[in-house]
Amino acid sequence: MAIPVIMPRLGQSVEDCILAEWKIAPGAVVEEGTVLAVIETDKASFDLESTAAGTVLDLFWEEGDDVPVLANVVAVGEEGEDVSGLRPQKETAAPTAEPASTPATSSDTPTPAAEAPVVTSSGGRAEAGVSPRAGKLALRSGIDPESIVGTGPGGRVIERDVESALARRPRLSASAAVSARKAGLEPPVRGKGLAGMALAGDMLEPGAIEGAKVEPVKGIRKLIAERMMESFSNTAQFTLNSTFDATAIQTYRKRKREEAGDSNYSKITLNDLIAHALIQVLKRHPDLNSHFLGDRIANFEEVHLGVAVDTPRGLMVPVLRSVCSKSLEDLSVGIKELVQSCLEGTVLPDQLSGGTFTLTNLGMLGVDHFTPVINPPEAAILGVGGISLKSVRGEDGQITTAECITLSLTIDHQAVDGAPAARFLKDLVDTLENYPVEDAGQNNGGETT
Amino acid sequence: MKHDLAIVGAGPAGYIAAKKAGDEGLKVLLVEAKKLGGVCLNEGCVPSKTLLQAAKTYHHALHGEAFGVEVSDVRFNFAKANAHKTKVMDGMREGIVGLMKKRKVEVLFGQATLSEGRKITVDGETHEADNILICTGSSPSRPSIPGIEGSNVVDSTGILELEQLPKSLVVVGGGVIGCEFACLFGSVGVPVTVVEALPEICPTLDPDLAKILRNELTKKNVTFHVGARVEEISGSEVKFSVKGESLTAQGEPILVATGRKPNLANLGLDNLRVDYDERGGIKVDERCATNIPGVWAAGDVTGRAWLAHAASRMAEVVVHNITGRKDHMRYDSIPSVVYTSPEIAVVGLTKEQAEERGMKVTTGKIPMSINARYLAEHPGERGLCKVVVEEGTRRLLGMHMIGGACSEMIFGAAAMLETELQEAEIDEIVFPHPTTSEVMKDVFMAVR
Repeated sequence: MAIPVIMPRLGQSVEDCILAEWKIAPGAVVEEGTVLAVIETDKASFDLESTAAGTVLDLFWEEGDDVPVLANVVAVGEEGEDVSGLRPQKETAAPTAEPASTPATSSDTPTPAAEAPVVTSSGGRAEAGVSPRAGKLALRSGIDPESIVGTGPGGRVIERDVESALARRPRLSASAAVSARKAGLEPPVRGKGLAGMALAGDMLEPGAIEGAKVEPVKGIRKLIAERMMESFSNTAQFTLNSTFDATAIQTYRKRKREEAGDSNYSKITLNDLIAHALIQVLKRHPDLNSHFLGDRIANFEEVHLGVAVDTPRGLMVPVLRSVCSKSLEDLSVGIKELVQSCLEGTVLPDQLSGGTFTLTNLGMLGVDHFTPVINPPEAAILGVGGISLKSVRGEDGQITTAECITLSLTIDHQAVDGAPAARFLKDLVDTLENYPVEDAGQNNGGETT
Repeated sequence: MKHDLAIVGAGPAGYIAAKKAGDEGLKVLLVEAKKLGGVCLNEGCVPSKTLLQAAKTYHHALHGEAFGVEVSDVRFNFAKANAHKTKVMDGMREGIVGLMKKRKVEVLFGQATLSEGRKITVDGETHEADNILICTGSSPSRPSIPGIEGSNVVDSTGILELEQLPKSLVVVGGGVIGCEFACLFGSVGVPVTVVEALPEICPTLDPDLAKILRNELTKKNVTFHVGARVEEISGSEVKFSVKGESLTAQGEPILVATGRKPNLANLGLDNLRVDYDERGGIKVDERCATNIPGVWAAGDVTGRAWLAHAASRMAEVVVHNITGRKDHMRYDSIPSVVYTSPEIAVVGLTKEQAEERGMKVTTGKIPMSINARYLAEHPGERGLCKVVVEEGTRRLLGMHMIGGACSEMIFGAAAMLETELQEAEIDEIVFPHPTTSEVMKDVFMAVR
């Protein structure tokens, strides 16, 4: 009758062992004491010896598997015997990512810094993971096991992978060794000294990348990164593009500037005019001036306009509040003041939140059209491109050219559908092409369906 | 037939590259316009060191009294010294022929012309190669001094061809080459005058060393004029001025040793559109690669280092990179030697160079005469060992020595530099006693 050889309990706290390497194959004839496999705990590696004599009938695990203690590992008996009754239930095994993270994160790990490299099993190769022994060795040697190509099952990083990575690491010069010890610096894959020896000048800050200036993600960059990921992971973004003939706003702006003298009208920009038209149109399409809050949608009566500003510290979106009733002149002055306070870094935190709709313009940087990213929980954002010459058919039927601008409206499809968004965009294009039109307070965009 | 590597110039870069590439199994073509071995073997290091040893031996014979060796009727036979020189050079050249033969390197003699597509033409025949290494070396440069074309004026190549000992010698240029010839001829009794434009001789060296060398050579029939502006050469007379005072010196011949220039002419380099650097050499990166892929340059032709062993190392770097082993130059740990008596050997940075790089350094120096072996062997001579150490880390940055057989021990300091040893580590290295090399350890006592 077939006899199972079980995974021994190698210590009070050991719950499972890695089966690092098989030393025999099915069909092998073994004695008691024959080494069947090399097994690893997070502290050492051991030989798994056979506790029975006979023929090896089946191997129940693969190299790299995490085998619970006391589970059957192999079956030994006479050829042809049925071993199905000895086969362990694999659900109890966890050959995937989890074991890699659990041993190293135990609370008694002394240094939080040293712990970090191993607790990365949520990364790209998490599927295969890092064996506890490999993780320990990597940690002791100050290398990130995730940076090693694993050769275990499914690419699992096992001890020999760490060893070969260590063997490839350059020798440290005497001074480089001191900087590794004292300043915690790390050698590059290949140094500039004798036969690739790492010199003091080659040593890198932990996390450094050769040939690159590496800086931590912090401050406004960190905030932007978080907001962008939040935007893409929580919204269903959908962009519509439409081009309008800018002749009307160009003419209006020129006339206003000529009339203006020293007044603020002399500084009116195309962006101000587009913002002004946008606010008028938003009043007629409150579903675009809204927040999508998961289980609720808030359609705002008032427009609080966010304006994307490129600052030396990164993108900022200050909000100009309650703009519905603002004159073009007030709007222009308000936007300029906000932009200036962002550039100077004097903007108040309160001025950076509470928008209901955002306007962003890359036209002055030569962009024709682009896909703006929604500033959640806002339901829409409008991107403005640059001026380009396009062919248009005039009222007399003749083809002429006109200066045109492309508008790119991104909506959160959770909150708004494509057709209403298109109607809004059409309304905006009409308003801009016929600027200035008095705000009739009516939804005339619906007529264009 | 296509070669893996075609090398232009068979000096210490070219033949070492050929040897290494041959060892790696590459098919190599080596082209030389003159003689195997280049300037080093035929017109530079090897013949000059042979003659310097002759001069040193003569000097020892003359001045053996301090050791109780009394010799009378000591003569210097220049013809025999020259014969020894020729024998050494011939032997070395034969050695190179053997090295090339063993590695099946194809050797062609003639002027090589390069053209686009890594083609190389010698004697009307065009060869192709995956890689081309240009290592055509350098030639003595002549400054524009009135009368410099006179028949009495020689350069460092010409002076090695003298068959008779000159009656007197003027050396224009007190650099390394000028000082070696001044030492050689001064030691065998020729009155030598060295005229140097800068305030001190050998300006690339640590000033303490240069000063000792100048004083020691003065004891060997050499007169120095520093800060001197040469105005004219006329026949055997050199006219120069020091601080407004006009002076003359007589020499037959007059040696002009004011520097060297890369050999770039007639190679067709412009066909290749090779970039040059501000020093006039072929511009190379740290791997000795030029701006043209597959075209490399090593040695004096790059205008860097001007040392045979640096050229050989550059050649080695080239072959490593061609054969897929990443390698690059580390100029800071290349030693350099002045083969005068006393010898000078240095490696690494001087205090001034380190400070120019913004490093905080501290130095220490000890006279060689505190060393038993030196004192026993060099009565009446002055020597110095100076070390430059980085403040804080106490890492060795430079070792500068004059006296004893320092050229034979400087590699030890080079190894310390290459491995970035620090004072505490060097302190534990055991140096044999009694040897002059112990100064390299003892000098750290003087570091403050």
